[in-house]
Amino acid sequence: MDQSHIRNFCIIAHIDHGKSTLADRILEKCGLVRGEAQEQMLDTMDLERERGITIKMTAVRLSYRARNGEEYQFNLIDTPGHVDFTYEVSRALYACEGALLVVDATQGVEAQTIANAAMAMNQNLEIIPVINKMDLPHADPEMAREEIENALALDATDAIPCSAKSGMGVEEILEAVVARIPSPKGDPKAPLRALIFDSHFDTYQGAVAYIRVKDGSVKPGDRIQMMSTGKTFDIDEVGVFRPKLERGTELATGEVGFITGAIKTIGDASVGDTVTAASNPAPEPLPGYRQAKPMVFCGLYPTDGDQYNDLRDAIEKLQMNDASISFTMETSAALGFGFRCGFLGLLHMDIARERLEREFGLDLILTAPSVDYIVHMTDGSNQHISNPSEMPDPNHTDFIEEPTVEATIMVPTEYVGVVMTLCQDRRGTYKKTEWPTPNRAIVYYTLPLAEILLDFFDKLKSMTRGYASFDYDLSEYQQSELVKVDILLNGDPVDALSFIVNKQFSYPRGKAIVEQLRKVVPRQQYEVKIQAAIGSRVIAADVIKPFRKNVIAKCYGGDVSRKRKLLDKQKEGKKRMKNIGAIEVPQEAFLSVLKVAE
Amino acid sequence: MGSVEPIAVYVHTPFCPSKCGYCDFNSYAMTGEIVERTVRATVLEIERSPWRGRPAKTVFFGGGTPTFLEAGQLERILLAVVAAHPPVDGAEVTSEANPGTVDIPKFRDMRAMGFDRVSLGAQSFDSSDLLRLGRVHEPGHIGRAVQAARDAGFENLNLDLMFALPGQSMRGWEQNLRLALAMGPEHLSLYCLTIEPNTRYYRYHLKGMLDLPDDEAQVAMYDRAVEACEGAGFRQYEVSNFARPGFESRHNLCYWRAEEYAAYGPGAVGRVGRRRWTNTKHPVRYCEAVEAGAELACEVEDVDDQALRTERLMLGLRLNEGLELDGLAVSESGLSGCVAAGWLTLGEGRATLTPAGRHVLNEVAVRLL
Repeated sequence: MDQSHIRNFCIIAHIDHGKSTLADRILEKCGLVRGEAQEQMLDTMDLERERGITIKMTAVRLSYRARNGEEYQFNLIDTPGHVDFTYEVSRALYACEGALLVVDATQGVEAQTIANAAMAMNQNLEIIPVINKMDLPHADPEMAREEIENALALDATDAIPCSAKSGMGVEEILEAVVARIPSPKGDPKAPLRALIFDSHFDTYQGAVAYIRVKDGSVKPGDRIQMMSTGKTFDIDEVGVFRPKLERGTELATGEVGFITGAIKTIGDASVGDTVTAASNPAPEPLPGYRQAKPMVFCGLYPTDGDQYNDLRDAIEKLQMNDASISFTMETSAALGFGFRCGFLGLLHMDIARERLEREFGLDLILTAPSVDYIVHMTDGSNQHISNPSEMPDPNHTDFIEEPTVEATIMVPTEYVGVVMTLCQDRRGTYKKTEWPTPNRAIVYYTLPLAEILLDFFDKLKSMTRGYASFDYDLSEYQQSELVKVDILLNGDPVDALSFIVNKQFSYPRGKAIVEQLRKVVPRQQYEVKIQAAIGSRVIAADVIKPFRKNVIAKCYGGDVSRKRKLLDKQKEGKKRMKNIGAIEVPQEAFLSVLKVAE
Repeated sequence: MGSVEPIAVYVHTPFCPSKCGYCDFNSYAMTGEIVERTVRATVLEIERSPWRGRPAKTVFFGGGTPTFLEAGQLERILLAVVAAHPPVDGAEVTSEANPGTVDIPKFRDMRAMGFDRVSLGAQSFDSSDLLRLGRVHEPGHIGRAVQAARDAGFENLNLDLMFALPGQSMRGWEQNLRLALAMGPEHLSLYCLTIEPNTRYYRYHLKGMLDLPDDEAQVAMYDRAVEACEGAGFRQYEVSNFARPGFESRHNLCYWRAEEYAAYGPGAVGRVGRRRWTNTKHPVRYCEAVEAGAELACEVEDVDDQALRTERLMLGLRLNEGLELDGLAVSESGLSGCVAAGWLTLGEGRATLTPAGRHVLNEVAVRLL
């Protein structure tokens, strides 16, 4: 296909504004059959379907015969929608020349619309506003249009009204893609430069890299080089997704597709990296490569100590699929052998846990997430600590630094007050406020990363009725008054429950965690004392009374089966508990710290 | 094939005058022709029983409210049972009865047709308890029903009582125990109220509308009941059951000893060999299935060795005679832990719960599994 007939674009939208439905409709219009009536076919992983989010991007190749009678090649690129994956979104956008900006005709512009549109504008994408859900009786396209103009400073005169549900307006959208989105630029004769914007791991083929060819071309048999590492590979296959993988002979300038080449780990096909020809490398890589850097760390332990090796294998396999996960071995007096794992954010951590449990049949205990602290010792040395139980004795530490982020929060002006209150409560340092439109404010804060690990995003959303959008960039380390709080069960500290907290929050958080543990740890044969302590000083305490009664009053012929199953369940529940001394502690207890951010 | 091993026989009659708030049994407040239709279907089911020919060790009519049926209807079912399962000598034949749905003529008829044991759902002697439970009878009915049963010639009589009722005090429970013992029954079943899912009480409980005694109070009420019964010459033989010597419920002992039981009627549950089945529950669906000669079971379970072991363990622990350990392969560490905790005593190849252990039977069972 000649370059002038290629269109690379993505769809950006606030959650539930109809992105996936529109994608389905576009696929249909271009003659792709819907696989087994699976709605929202771009989301492939089970987990995605269940959580309603897109974790992995997919690119789909479509053929469209336009009204001018000519055939066009469309590449529709899907983007994830969570702050944990901001970098991946930016790379996906960089693979496109244009974006469909979907706005719900009943809701208007919302937080993510702004965040995503801003990112697309930064990349100079051509944006086509689409006003969706016109089939709903209370659709108000004028309101939506006005908001697009005011909040996004985009010309909405040509915004396309549509209903992804009924199919109305979809053809106009496709025509607009042809007419308004520029064809890819790039030099077919220049040395190969292709952007990796996503990848997945295939057991047989190794890493499959999703690429956008910027210059030159690539075909099977070519020897390629990854510009960040210098590693070379021989291309086995090139191809496209329609939406299932389809092999081809070449990916030319401007095209989007995949390459394989016995790339053994996903880390060798990093998102953002530039692929070039080994024999004739490009002088410069494409801009914007950044190595994925874990920001959140937690301990990962098998509930059953015998599963340690299985867990190691599983994490290794998961890492082949997701290079942003890091892990090192660690041991805990309470939990035995396990791993300290690093993730991009909390959602990323949660997804990884779920995949490990679901895909590898493991039963896991996660310890409270932590950031990476730099502890400066009195002797002038320093060390990185991401496991609270390894925090050195305060007598030998000079001071401690913690990572911070530069946070950007976009909200309707009436919420600026609550946003500032929240940021102050989370030890934020106010930077400035901007008003891009009269109704929208952008508030800038420096916040300790540890504070946004808790429930910051959820709190922000609920306090602003979902209108706030939030983004952050990792910033400098800052000195902070930090203390380690230990949790003791019947007088013995449980290392896996220790946490690091700013001194001013140590009392309320210690109290809240003790309370949370009292709720989640079941009654035992004997009384259990729970204490929170800083060093030898107890700052909060509570008691779990021993159980008094656990018996079924009635058990006759019709009850036996159900009661037996109940007993089997109790037995199973006991197995999932971790025995710490004589105390049975359920898995969720180790994440108590997450549940208590006031 | 053709086994002549005696078997326990259960018949379920699903009808009640009304549905009680705590009840999760298969029961329906239905009247009219469905009642007669169900009786006919039950008779048919018994006549076609694959276990026909096995003598009845015990017969038990439960519900629902068996006495909601006319005497004639009860008789037709019982005759069918006797024809299919000739009772062994001295077989126990029990019917449950609601104090509000019996009178002397009905009890006379029942005694005459062969019932020799009556289990009365007294529940409480406090009229506000009964009202809250949703029972149709009043305290005064209980004494009259006991008297009527005696007059009709029943010499083996059980009273069911519940404790830890919403708002019930220890004093209220003691009063109930006194009144129950004063009626001179041979057997007492004393149940701690359990809030079961899919009941009115469950919904009330979720909303915090039931003022239920806490665990401590429940334990105290239970201990008081054991004390009162033993003081009156009863022997505890199961977690919730007390009898004068020789009057233990032989039918229920079959359940707790994990023996086989045949079962007939809508929603009835039986187990023979490895097969446990539940009949279709709704009376209309049940009748349709019987009339069409279709499959009656709505649930069938294969009780494998593993499941049977768990059941033997869970049920055997309920009995004061203790759990026979032979062939159960119970966890040694669990056993010694429970003995050390003062929950179990061992002797003659049996593990028996102590009074303290009886409060935590599930915990003991889980540790022994």
